[in-house]
Formats: sequence, C-alpha cells, structure tokens
Amino acid sequence: MAELPASLRGSAASVAPVGPNWRIIRDPLGVNKLFWTRGDDGGIVFAARPKVLVEQGHPFEGISAVPRGSITTLPADSADETAVQTIPLWQRSAARSLEIVAAEIRSTLNRYLAALASARDGAQFLVCLSGGLDSSGIAALAREHCSGLVAVSFDLERRRGESDDRVEAKRLAHDLNLPLVCVTSSPDSVLEKLDMVLTEGIDWRDFNVHAALVNASLAEAIAAIPTEDAKVVLTGDLANEFLADYGPEHYAGSAYYDLPRLSPGALRTVLVRGLDTSNREVGIFGAWGLPVVQPYAAAVDSYLALPADLLGSGDGKRRLGEAVFGGLLPRYAYDRPKIRAQVGSAGEDKGILALCVERGIHADYLRSRFASLHGTSLASLDRFIRAGMYRAVVPASRAGGAA
Amino acid sequence: MSSIDVEGAIEEFVRREFAVSPTDEGFGRHAHLFDEGYVDSVGVIELLEFIKHEFGVEIPDEDLFSPDFSTVAGIGAIIARLTA
Repeated sequence: MAELPASLRGSAASVAPVGPNWRIIRDPLGVNKLFWTRGDDGGIVFAARPKVLVEQGHPFEGISAVPRGSITTLPADSADETAVQTIPLWQRSAARSLEIVAAEIRSTLNRYLAALASARDGAQFLVCLSGGLDSSGIAALAREHCSGLVAVSFDLERRRGESDDRVEAKRLAHDLNLPLVCVTSSPDSVLEKLDMVLTEGIDWRDFNVHAALVNASLAEAIAAIPTEDAKVVLTGDLANEFLADYGPEHYAGSAYYDLPRLSPGALRTVLVRGLDTSNREVGIFGAWGLPVVQPYAAAVDSYLALPADLLGSGDGKRRLGEAVFGGLLPRYAYDRPKIRAQVGSAGEDKGILALCVERGIHADYLRSRFASLHGTSLASLDRFIRAGMYRAVVPASRAGGAA
Repeated sequence: MSSIDVEGAIEEFVRREFAVSPTDEGFGRHAHLFDEGYVDSVGVIELLEFIKHEFGVEIPDEDLFSPDFSTVAGIGAIIARLTA
C-alpha cells in the first residue's frame, strides 16, 4: 500500500514495510487494536494484544496503543522525522432527515456486503443472530448477498425454557428462511473462557467482558462446524453505540453497566469513542481463527448525521430500523425492546450477568484478574484505559518488528 | 479564571457528583482521584464533560493520561495551561 488513504472505514490495524519506511495504520473507530512498546535495544515492538508483549518480557506499564485514526510513517533512517497523518472519524456534515440517512445506511450496507461477498467468494458466512433488531437487519441484508448464509444463536443453559433471545432468533431464522445453529452453553463452559476473554478482549470492565463471554461461546461453536470453506462471521455490533441506546441493567437489587449521566448526544460521542477499547468481537472471534465483520462500521458517517432528536427518543431505533430495513424484516422485529446479548431476556433471568454475579465474579474480581494476567498492579489499569480510551502514543522511532 | 478558581470548581464538582463526604479527611486537591476511588471509569467521563462545558476546553489525550490528570490540583493546572 504505497498510497495513503484519504479516508478509511471499517476495521484495520497493520504494520507494514513501505519502501524504506514502516507504515502503521489503525482505523478511526479503533475497531482493530494495535499496541507497541520499546525493546531493550531501543527498537519498537508491536502486537495486537498487550499480553503478547508482556509474555515477551516487556512491562505492561510501558505498553501504549497506536492512536486510532492514524497513519504513521516511521523512517528507516532514524535521522528522518516520523510523519503522522490523522484520519477523521467521520466526515462532518449537516444533520439530515431520518429518511435520507436511512436510505444512505441501507445503500452503504448493501454495497459493503456485496463487496465482502465478492472478496470472500466461496466462504461460509455465518451471522450471529441475537434476535435483536441490529443483528436481524444484518441477517436480512446479508442473505441477499452471501449465499449459504447460516444464522447462529447463543443461549445459556437454563433450568427451564429458553431465553427471549433464543425464542426470537428461532422465529426470525424461520421467517427469514435461514438455517439456525443453536449454541447452548453450560455455565462452566462459559466461565472457563474468562481468562481468554480478559486477554483477547483487552478489557476488564464487566459490560465488555460479559458480552465477550457470549462471543467466546459462539466462536468456539462456529470454529467447530465442519466445513472445508473459510468462515466469515457477521454481527450487528456497533449500532448500539451509534444510537446510544444502551441502558443500565439491574439484578438482585444492584445496578450494573452504569452509563455516564450525559445528554443523549454527548453519550453517543462517548460510546463511539469508547469503541477504541472494545475488542469483544474482533479479538474474541480472532482467538478461534475467525474473521469477524461488523457491517455497521461502514455506515458510521450516516449514523452520526442522524438528527439529534432521534437519540433518546424512545422509539428512535424502531423508526430508523423501519426506514432502513422496511419489509425485509417482519413487523415483530421492530417492536422488540432492546436486550443485551449477555442478558438474553427482559425478565428476571439475566443470563451471563446473573451467572457472573452469582459466582462472585464482580467488577473488582475482573480488574484484579486482568492485572494479574498482565503482571501489573491495579493502579496501572486506570492509566491504561481512561474515559473509554487506551493510553495512545504515536510510536516515534524506527520499528523493531511485529510480535 | 485562575488555576485556584478552576481547582475550586473541580473540587466542588467532584464532591457533589461523586458523593464525597464532607468529613472525608483523605479528600483534598492533591488526593489521587482514581487510585483512592473518588472517581471511577464512568465518573471520569462526566468529569471531562463538566470541564468541556464549564471551561470550554477538551482535554487532549496526552493530558488525560498524564500524571497531572489524577488530582484536582493537577487537572486545574492542565486547564489553566489550555485556557491561557
């Protein structure tokens, strides 16, 4: 890649030689992760996960992220200056009507999925179908582009019945005429993946860890599906951040997943910025050798141009969903309340959140375990992730190699 | 606005929004906001938003992760520098 991209959407992180220099790229949303530290010889060592650098003997406290949305050119000759180009997160534009933005989103998603299907011709595409509107929309669009698309649903083993998510996923898969693989994991099976989730997810905060545990179970099951074809996983992640439609959860008298007390617009800015520290999908599926694609990332500019009154309006997501997907989805898909995948049901049964609470895996435990796995102190964690971002520093020296 | 005024406004915000007890003798303008548990990962976002609205500055990433951005006094110094 000799030419510098003027804009970059989707996910990307790489360190590559370009002529006599090294070029380091990270996408503007920070979907893909890239870390670096300085070795004993003064050279720079890169890795996609801090744990890899720690295992090579580099102290956690010296590890920084490559800034999201940056293209850094490191000269091979240390006498030359390092050049840094910033890629803006999105093209700022005037707010447009919901109908116009919805048409843009659908067009972008269609073109993106068509390009993906062409680029990965012959691959086995699988879509994680939670039963929520975001993943249902991706499933409905992807089946038009990705032949042989298979849906996959997660549920936690329960004493009785199935989660609301599972029930809805079955109904949707039937109505969309998609084959459905049901992954039903035991509590022990889920929790045995906790250390892997902490290191591959590069985060200790419960809302990301719990979501990553769902994805780890899905990834394990998808990786085990026998096929000669390469697999590509599609998800409906990111739309929640773009629409700021998260809320806290309550279980056993306590509140979890607290959100900052901000206006809807400010909250969206924070949540989108916080994607810098969310590796709950790319990192987790990657640990099983599965590339994951989040099509909503391609439409970030359109989402962020939505009229502000749509956020926090209660029915904004439904209205946008109807405008984007229209008759591609059955009526009931638009009327379902938001349910986090790690919670699974609207009632008392709170899925993986409840499982972790009942097993004593609280926020303090997750912090402590993450610190232990990375050979560092609790105090250093607040200097690694702050305000939803990794500590990011431009690597300004000759690159030593990729770990 | 002087650094002292800025510190006062930040201290008042932290005390009010994060329910610091008036009798907490450990809290002060040089107390470590994060290590000592006065401000958590959600609270720091609210603090940044307060700074943006109150003083009209966005804290750059390098300042956010600097040692100064861990006490009321340090944050006051950062804001004073950015608004000078």
